[in-house]
Amino acid sequence: MVKLIENEILKTFYKKRIHVIAGILLVLIALFAYGEHYTLTRTQDRVAEQLGIENAEDWKNIIGQQLQDLERRLDNPYIPDEGKASIQVRAEQLRFYLDNDVSPIGSTAARFMGQFIEQSIFLFLPLLIILLAGDMVSGEVNSGTVKLILTRPVKRWKILMAKLLALSMLEMFVIFMMALFSFAIAMVVFGYSGFNEPVITGFRVFEGQLDTSAVRTIPQWQYLMMTYAIGYFVAFVIGSLSLMVSVLVRSTSASIGIMMSTLIGGSFLSFFISDWKLTRYLFTVNLNLTSYISGSFQIVEGLSMTFSTLVLLGWSFGAIGIAFLVFTQKDILA
Amino acid sequence: MNTDTVLSLKNVSKKIKGRPIINDISFEVKKGQIYGFLGPNGAGKTMTLRMIVGLIRPTSGTVEICGHNTRKDFVRAMSNVGCIIENPELYEYLSGSDNLELLRKMEPDISASRIDEVVELVGLSHRIHDKVGTYSLGMKQRLGIAQALMKKPELLILDEPTNGLDPAGIKEFRSLVKSLSKEQGMTIFVSSHLLSEIQMICDEVAIILHGRIIKTSKVEALSAGQKITWNVTNVAKAIKLLADDFGVEAVKDTEETLSAFTDDFRIMEINSAMMSSDIGIKYVSRQQKSLEDLFMELTGGETIG
Repeated sequence: MVKLIENEILKTFYKKRIHVIAGILLVLIALFAYGEHYTLTRTQDRVAEQLGIENAEDWKNIIGQQLQDLERRLDNPYIPDEGKASIQVRAEQLRFYLDNDVSPIGSTAARFMGQFIEQSIFLFLPLLIILLAGDMVSGEVNSGTVKLILTRPVKRWKILMAKLLALSMLEMFVIFMMALFSFAIAMVVFGYSGFNEPVITGFRVFEGQLDTSAVRTIPQWQYLMMTYAIGYFVAFVIGSLSLMVSVLVRSTSASIGIMMSTLIGGSFLSFFISDWKLTRYLFTVNLNLTSYISGSFQIVEGLSMTFSTLVLLGWSFGAIGIAFLVFTQKDILA
Repeated sequence: MNTDTVLSLKNVSKKIKGRPIINDISFEVKKGQIYGFLGPNGAGKTMTLRMIVGLIRPTSGTVEICGHNTRKDFVRAMSNVGCIIENPELYEYLSGSDNLELLRKMEPDISASRIDEVVELVGLSHRIHDKVGTYSLGMKQRLGIAQALMKKPELLILDEPTNGLDPAGIKEFRSLVKSLSKEQGMTIFVSSHLLSEIQMICDEVAIILHGRIIKTSKVEALSAGQKITWNVTNVAKAIKLLADDFGVEAVKDTEETLSAFTDDFRIMEINSAMMSSDIGIKYVSRQQKSLEDLFMELTGGETIG
């Protein structure tokens, strides 16, 4: 089995698929970093102008005022305990900015890495994975090499299993490249790493209300580990779906095309999600998992981290099941 | 089943979307034989070969290789088989040696030095580190043969192996097949649409037409007889005479010619019988039998198309 997996990874590298993905990542991250940097300077200027301060370096005064304000509110006996929790958390964050001399409006390598995965998890990352997985089987059927591997004394399910395992390793590699490239580029552009900066997380939706009782801060590095792990999970789900489509159709372009249009078309359906209950069971509307921990989601009753994870797992297992069933039974006619 | 049967097909049929493609095929290949599988394009040769190597499941019937059912014990059956099915499609983006190395890892036990051996054998040593994408069809064919031979298979299955080879390559290929059979006792199953090809290398042949085996026989038995064409004044009468007096089935080719398959020694008898029945003979000609003729003979006039 190890040898079979080795073969599959070797094929992907020799096909230069990984090179293409690395290239796309580099270019896009560089552009994203430039855009971020550009917007940041503009925002800083504007903020400085509005607040009537000389430059954005005066942020310390403003933060200091905000912090005092929050601390006053904490002493207020009329604010319920739940409310205090979130104020506490916010105050903690502001204190960090002051103590460590980090501007909250500036950007750091860690913040950039987080933003990049948050922005790419529901579309860009899946597209890369489709590019990687879309031809794993159909490519071999297309070129006829499937006849070579299926006439070896190896059971068919083992061949597909090797492809699936190789794919999950390659997905990990893509996530790793994403983290590495965005870190390296952000370090060059923004300078400060900021991995210890506290990030607010733990928002929940409970009975249609935003529940802030579990809100807390975690250091950036921990937040990034979580988001990139979630990124890997999404990659695995999309990878298994692509593998299934790749087993079902004969040509690589059809396989990649079907997955891309499903992904993009399906994400439009998230528009109906609050009214049309059925749409929440689609995999495309559940991909934005990082929004649950960053607290940047729109509030929809019933959607939660657990729900979305289960839906995605369901799709993934279903796809793997179908892929194995079809691949082990099918006639190789051409 | 006999222990020296390497390949046996029993009542193998295949239907695709309800349409019968292969009908009830049975034959056996014995150890050490070079067995030909002859048929025109579209007769079901490749489909049958794909069923033998497990790429397609038969709708009914069984395929056994060295006594192992390919459905029930695929791994053990296939560990005896080296094959090329249709075109030798290899990984174009890998070099010849990387291709072989990749396939070697999928087999249980082939030593790394075996790769050099087979590459030498098929004469690809000078280009083996180049990408397969840069190979000519002939070179791909050679690499295809190399991957099939790599494991020293009990049964070697070759589908139209001389396609894309130049005349020198074809000649080389024939001597390779013969030496594999003679020196290593390898059993070889070759499909072809060329009768001459089969006649030159095979011991025994199964002939397939429209998804049915219409004949299995020794190759020598096939070559007996040749096609004789008579140009005569009365074709109808001549055909009747051949049928009544000699038991030879003749076919009317044109208004003035008829042809039949018969041996040299009978031609004179037939000629004198014709003359004594007032059939004028303008000329008689003799030619080597083609596949088309063989089918005409076997099917009694049904054409290939």
